[in-house]
Amino acid sequence: MTHAQENTSSTIASDWPTLLKDNRRTGGREDAAARAPKKVRWQARLGSSIRSAPVLGNGLLYVTTVGGTVFAIEGNTGRTRWKFQIKDQIHSTPSFWKNLLLFGSDSGAVYAVDADLGVKVWEASANGEVWTSPVTAAGVVYFGSADARLYAVEAETGRQKWAQEFGGRIYSTAFAATDAIYFGCGDGNVYCVEATSGKAMWHTSTGNGIDSSPALAGDTLLIGSEDFFFYALDSKNGAVKWKYETGLGIASSPVVAGQLVVIGSKDGYLYALEIPTGRLVWKAHVGGVVTAPPVIADDVVCIQSWGTLAFEISTGKEAWRAGVGGAVQSAPVLTKDAMYLASLDGDVYALE
Amino acid sequence: MDRRSFVRNACLGSASLYFHGFAHGAQSDIPSPKAPHIETRGLSQPMPSPLGMPGLFPGRVVELSSSEAIVRNRVSQPLIKEMLERGMKELTGENSAQAAWAKFVEPKDIVGIKINPSGAPACCSSPEIVREIVTGVQSVGVPAGNIIVYDRYAYEIDIGSYQALVPANVKVMGVQDAFTGTAGYDMAIYCDANFFGEWETRSYMASVVARGVTKIINVPTMKDHSAAGVTGCLKNLGYGTFNNVARSHRAPYSFTDPLIGVMCSVEPLRSKAVLHIMDGMRQVWHGGPLTQVQDFIYPAGMLYVGTDPVAMDTLELEAIEKKRRDEGAPSVWEHDPASITSNDHEFFHDPKKNLFYRRPGHIASAGKLGLGVADRAQIDHRRIA
Repeated sequence: MTHAQENTSSTIASDWPTLLKDNRRTGGREDAAARAPKKVRWQARLGSSIRSAPVLGNGLLYVTTVGGTVFAIEGNTGRTRWKFQIKDQIHSTPSFWKNLLLFGSDSGAVYAVDADLGVKVWEASANGEVWTSPVTAAGVVYFGSADARLYAVEAETGRQKWAQEFGGRIYSTAFAATDAIYFGCGDGNVYCVEATSGKAMWHTSTGNGIDSSPALAGDTLLIGSEDFFFYALDSKNGAVKWKYETGLGIASSPVVAGQLVVIGSKDGYLYALEIPTGRLVWKAHVGGVVTAPPVIADDVVCIQSWGTLAFEISTGKEAWRAGVGGAVQSAPVLTKDAMYLASLDGDVYALE
Repeated sequence: MDRRSFVRNACLGSASLYFHGFAHGAQSDIPSPKAPHIETRGLSQPMPSPLGMPGLFPGRVVELSSSEAIVRNRVSQPLIKEMLERGMKELTGENSAQAAWAKFVEPKDIVGIKINPSGAPACCSSPEIVREIVTGVQSVGVPAGNIIVYDRYAYEIDIGSYQALVPANVKVMGVQDAFTGTAGYDMAIYCDANFFGEWETRSYMASVVARGVTKIINVPTMKDHSAAGVTGCLKNLGYGTFNNVARSHRAPYSFTDPLIGVMCSVEPLRSKAVLHIMDGMRQVWHGGPLTQVQDFIYPAGMLYVGTDPVAMDTLELEAIEKKRRDEGAPSVWEHDPASITSNDHEFFHDPKKNLFYRRPGHIASAGKLGLGVADRAQIDHRRIA
């Protein structure tokens, strides 16, 4: 199976257009094997709950904690390179733009921190908490907030370009394509807005609020809803190409591998569907609730659900499971020689 | 101890409470260990609020039901709106929903909505109901920013996706971020009892309840509970407000009776809990409170509305018992040693098995503490189809 065309937008090198960087939710790593882990390289106790996913850049693992601390941890040793502390809680998964680490906070502030030094470069603000992960395209950072607004700020300075209000809270991390921004909303709509203004180009209603973050594969926008359905929409006009019903609501975010999309449901299953048709290719029982985004490595799809599990991407057969990484929002970072996991109770693991 | 002396003790500092002599229903076949001494310390305040439990309408419970309220496991927002408005008007005797809400909240209030996400995602307080409560509270003039949807565990709230699903600017918070930690609790307000020799004998009240909100609207679910018998208004409030509560039951014994009622009696929880809206859209008749097994979750499509948690839980217990009888499951009062298992899988999949000797007598015990009416004959049960 190939993994061509992870993102359909004509991205530039510094772009980070979606949750965990790309449609495979890689979190910044370059390549990944995701073999079954054999031993612990290191374990770090950060002293605060972690309800976000770590990201990797230049050999450093960046982790945000509910206690308001950002940690930059050396991937090889587990040694903390720097810490950055704010007064508020952090639930936002961080992202990169050039050498800046971007993340939101519960006060509504969004921070850009020098990824090497751990020093604040700029701060932008929303009127409600920001749990979404900032995404960047063509030098503009986009993030949604609980105040029902989507914000666009300059990546260099944090200066606001626009803010647009919608009908509900925004906990869905946007997908930033070349000219359009896509996201789900608590009012049950999927929105496509102009990148330059935030004005809605189209919206499509689902049957309940949306917590899931979209992926864009070709001209198909993929997203789950709390109405139990997984949607494939025409990215040009929002028309429903197909939808697939799961057993409970969907807060998980889809991953894309070639013509296959994988999504988790609160019913405890991962579903692999053909993007062109919506046909179910396989369905795998995870065992616990699935609200986190899956992550794709070479031949497996990994998911955290009170532990970490891997399933063969071609068949859905369970490849391995590890009893660490107890979390319901986090996602592993997979490299060719290590796996990094964050857990709800504040532990971070590097497994070999 | 009568209600007055209990309230005085709970309000004015440290109280020494003994529960000898409480009637414990029909569970007499297996002797349970005697409940230990429970000491409470509440927040001092001059006088308990008349809105506090049992509230403005002691003994009155409005039951609403609709087969269309939950279809294919989806709750209907329009029907919830209609049912809740009718329920509020019937409860209060007011002609408009807004006037009904104004009986309980004022524009200056900080309103807490106490949800029950502990069974999420299979059975938890429906976001559709929470949305309509927010609408009702806002209709009185309370701004969205002064409404707090809360429960003890943030991760359970996350699983329910409440953050994304409630109206904009409403605050959603978990008292604690992970499994342990006391940062979200008020060390001056507690219940202290040694049940099984545990090293930490105190349970502390959540700070958001003690110092944050001025009114609480309680949104429990209708569930069987492996230790308490049922989890309804009282259990959702008591065990959802204080920490370190699981220590009250160690298989196969449980001291949820009397601890649940005692906790609900501690000020300021008692005075702030002014309204209870029980979510019976889904009804768990076995495996509660955490089951995810759909075989034991019945789409009842019901709502109870009232100010008296004891009367509401009495009716809930009756409903769960009926459903269990209909399904051939033993009564929650049963204390047959052969029913006890330590195997979680067996418990979750066999309604004849349980982890504890359930103690549904906590409802009657709470009635004796003056929290409401437990006598079925005295309950004003109003059914609206």
